[in-house]
Amino acid sequence: MRRPGQLALCCAAAIAIGHIATVIAAPRAIMHVAMRRLSEQGRVINAFRFSPRVDAHARWVVRPSPDLAYASCVYDLSHGAIVVRAAPAADHGYVSVSVFAANTDMIAVFDTLAQPRGIGFALALPGQTVPAGLSVVRATTARGIILDRRLAPDAARFAAADAARRADRCAPI
Amino acid sequence: MARWHFAAVIAAGLMAGSGSALAWMRHGLAPVGQGWTGSAVAGSVDADPWTRARVALSGLLALDRSQAIYFVRTVDDAGRPLDQACRYRVSGGALPGRWWSVTVYAADNYLPRNDDGALSVDATRLHPDATGHWQALAASHRPPAGAWVSTRNAGHFDLTLRLYNPTPGAQADVSTITLPGVARIDCDRGVGG
Repeated sequence: MRRPGQLALCCAAAIAIGHIATVIAAPRAIMHVAMRRLSEQGRVINAFRFSPRVDAHARWVVRPSPDLAYASCVYDLSHGAIVVRAAPAADHGYVSVSVFAANTDMIAVFDTLAQPRGIGFALALPGQTVPAGLSVVRATTARGIILDRRLAPDAARFAAADAARRADRCAPI
Repeated sequence: MARWHFAAVIAAGLMAGSGSALAWMRHGLAPVGQGWTGSAVAGSVDADPWTRARVALSGLLALDRSQAIYFVRTVDDAGRPLDQACRYRVSGGALPGRWWSVTVYAADNYLPRNDDGALSVDATRLHPDATGHWQALAASHRPPAGAWVSTRNAGHFDLTLRLYNPTPGAQADVSTITLPGVARIDCDRGVGG
């Protein structure tokens, strides 16, 4: 092959590799940044962190909803499983708890429409033991984010949601 | 000299490939009709790497469609980019879910920096008429009356519709959902109609 052809081939291969590598790496890199922010630079792990009411200055994650109250738990299962519990809303409004892996996949979600008395489950890696009687979500990565969303479109409902979510639990078993 | 040529070409190619991926990720989601875009697999383990990358950039921690469906639009009903210099009538009927909201986001994927306290409208705050029809104003100044979502400091913005606990029919086929319209009323620069 002549040299211009070889250069063109190298260029095309490099473009393809650069494109695919970026697409594959971006979700994990973005999640890593989000986990650093939500865990306060790694200081708050396996514990819920309660975000203030979303306003125009919220920058902890893209596209936050001003109508929801958020609580987040950055989990790390490298030392064992954790238990997650979320209380229902007093007014039977929307509450969900979702579990995200380190590659952004949502691996589980529960809401109080299906579990009106509250949400509870264990989160564990394959092979990790959990107490009997708890429903189990098997994580696909050791680290990730659990997000509690509660309907809170005004100050009064945010106050009620905030009071209810204080009973949430995200902790090692 | 030849090695330097190859190294330079490979470096330039890698940068071009990475840049094309980032541009593609920012491009947005697939059209779902009626001026809105969305993804059937946002947040799902079934998402392909390209969808996953797009969602990570513009909708991190999105729920899957069993829980919520997200729609985004950047243009009005006539296909013109949404602009804070203009006023828009956002209107629609009942939506097939437990709760829904429409929120303004600036081009950086965050809420516009204003303290108007009107960053969204939602199903609990709108008052549909007897036929179930509702409407709200998207504008940079508060109207004398009626539902309002502030676009002040939003620049070229987008509207995001969140539909929570969608009905099984909506989950199965988003094209069956009658999505809200966005009609431009007028613009500060006098280019509206």
